Amino acid sequence: MFAYGISKEYSLYYLRKGKGASPHIVKYSDGLKDPLIGGVRPFEPLKNFFFFARERVIDGLGRPADPKAGGKPLCVLGVKNCDLAGLNILDSVFSEGDFKDPFYVSKREQNLIIAADCTHAIDTCFCHALGHEHFPQKNHDVLISELRDGYLLESVTWKGKKLLNENSDILADSGEKHIEERDHIRSISGAQVEEGIKKSEIPRQTEYKDVIKKSLESEIWEREAENCVECGGCNVACPTCHCFYLADIQKKAGGETRYKIWDSCMYKRFARVAGNANPRQHLWERLRNRFEKKFDYFPEVNGLYACTGCGRCISGCPAKIDIRRVLKDLVAEKKKAKA
Amino acid sequence: MVENPYCPVKAEITDIIEETPTIKTFAVKPEKPVSFKTGQFVELTVPGVGEAPFTPSSNPKIEDSMEITIMSVGRVTSRLHEIGKGAVVGVRGPYGTGYPLKDFEGKEVLIVGGGVGLAPLRSLILALLDEAGKYKRIMVKYGARSPEDLVYKDQLKEWAGNKDLDIEITVDKSGEDWKGNVGLITTLLRKDIGVDISNSAAIVCGPPIMMKFATFKLVELGYKDKDLFLSMEKNMSCGIGKCGHCRIGPYYACKDGPVFTYDKIKEYHTIWE
Ligand SMILES: Cc1cc2nc3c(=O)[nH]c(=O)nc-3n(C[C@H](O)[C@H](O)[C@H](O)COP(=O)(O)OP(=O)(O)OC[C@H]3O[C@@H](n4cnc5c(N)ncnc54)[C@H](O)[C@@H]3O)c2cc1C
Ligand code: SF4
Ligand code: SF4
Ligand code: FES
Repeated sequence: MFAYGISKEYSLYYLRKGKGASPHIVKYSDGLKDPLIGGVRPFEPLKNFFFFARERVIDGLGRPADPKAGGKPLCVLGVKNCDLAGLNILDSVFSEGDFKDPFYVSKREQNLIIAADCTHAIDTCFCHALGHEHFPQKNHDVLISELRDGYLLESVTWKGKKLLNENSDILADSGEKHIEERDHIRSISGAQVEEGIKKSEIPRQTEYKDVIKKSLESEIWEREAENCVECGGCNVACPTCHCFYLADIQKKAGGETRYKIWDSCMYKRFARVAGNANPRQHLWERLRNRFEKKFDYFPEVNGLYACTGCGRCISGCPAKIDIRRVLKDLVAEKKKAKA
Repeated sequence: MVENPYCPVKAEITDIIEETPTIKTFAVKPEKPVSFKTGQFVELTVPGVGEAPFTPSSNPKIEDSMEITIMSVGRVTSRLHEIGKGAVVGVRGPYGTGYPLKDFEGKEVLIVGGGVGLAPLRSLILALLDEAGKYKRIMVKYGARSPEDLVYKDQLKEWAGNKDLDIEITVDKSGEDWKGNVGLITTLLRKDIGVDISNSAAIVCGPPIMMKFATFKLVELGYKDKDLFLSMEKNMSCGIGKCGHCRIGPYYACKDGPVFTYDKIKEYHTIWE
């Protein structure tokens, strides 16, 4: 009922239980099939809905593409906090500064985010280490918490309020006991996150200060880069990775278009300049760069670590490069250097 | 509504000057004026091929058109070298911070260029000459691989006779008929250069290796890091601080540069590559 209502105004996406540990985001049509409201973060990062993998930005010289083209705005149901936290980074890149990205900005204005509590954690979750909760904190329109028999809904923005008002016929007033139940579920899943952090021994963010700066020449980089196959999967999976390149394409029918396409800092050509000079010729330099960007650049320019602890780059990496291990070793190295 | 920063304006190539076998200067006239401050750059589009960043080499005072001097080195630049007068290209910008002319006032300005690196510096020199009285002295040291590789050959001759400008040129290698200096650019940065270094700013632009050695030499001569203005060439795509390609430490060369004082970037690794 609720979903049907949304689907009239928005192109609705929701989480469906997958074969693996994490659910997938699927498109709504004729009702929800095996939906997951709580659970854990999906396989796909939320950025896909605001910063498309490939998007046309111009239709020719002097002809900007329409950022609103492409039908109804998008609504994602069941978004988790590690993805919401990723929007802090993307917002700072695309919505701030002298130039703004109209494609991102218009999607952020139009799209609707219905976020949910994590009702459990998986092995790779370490959001708490980065100071993020396992329940929605900001950047969402509606908060939905899965309870034993029902859902607790709370509107956060005017868009969310409007949605709940429109659905008032299927909603009942909530009480103290619902909040208590929600908090109880949160405490159980929170303990699971803590357990994973303990097991992987990932240090907390308070220990990350200057870890990269102090380990620029560390052997950790070469060791970790050894098995990397330069697939860029870590970038694709990450809710904060925002790099792209502009590609011009000659259309068969005449005229040319420009696309904004996700890029990967793990690719050799990423920093290459004319004449084949390359400040990051070696793979280990590119791996180091990825960490510098997340743990050095962003904290310096806007006080945020560009990692939300979602763990996607861990489960997605064919080379089994584990960001938790890298951070653990970097912090240990920094401590040793001090001692 | 947010303006689309990825969209260039149409522009016409109104003239092409062959500078060297690999370098051409293009006169570009955008449909709508794209005015720039000296040292700022633009993204130039070859329709259907792609774009690349270039710093206009003309006087920023001229607002309705610009000249861009381009060396053919790869995909986009080689296509540019194939186009003719009247061709339509795209321009977006200007981007970056440009040269802080105010900081140079009352000073002895030392300009050090290598190869096609003289392009942005020509725009600077023209801007300085327009108000030559504001600067104590304007000096140019320019180096190229060979006499044929010198850009703006006519202008160099004219500048040699300009009393507001001290210009010295060198080439790495030459044939018989070259009467000028032979040697790397650093040979022009001698101990007896005759500059009051405590009241001087040096501006360097050229290929990375030249930038590196010229900078080291200037530091050796006694220049303070904060008085060295360096143009950093980094891989760029968006030009506006979004795409992540041009990072140097906590900066993006496209938005915080491309000109940086040495003290700002010195501590970061791989700045010369
Ligand atoms: C601020 C600034 C100012 C500059 N000013 C000048 C100037 O005044 N004059 C001048 O001659 N030069 C200037 N340059 C250098 C000039 O921008 C480069 O020479 C130019 O970008 C080379 O482009 P290219 O495509 O010809 O070379 P390539 O070597 O083919 O490519 C250069 C870059 O484009 C990328 N690239 C190549 N092919 C593709 C592809 N298929 N898809 C996506 N990306 C690709 C590469 O990764 C590489 O980073 C300046 C550079 C900067 C940063
Ligand atoms: S996902 Fe793993 S193998 Fe692929 S580029 Fe990233 S670190 Fe390398
Ligand atoms: S770096 Fe890895 S764990 Fe951190 S936010 Fe990105 S994908 Fe998630
Ligand atoms: S060129 Fe895109 S961030 Fe600088």
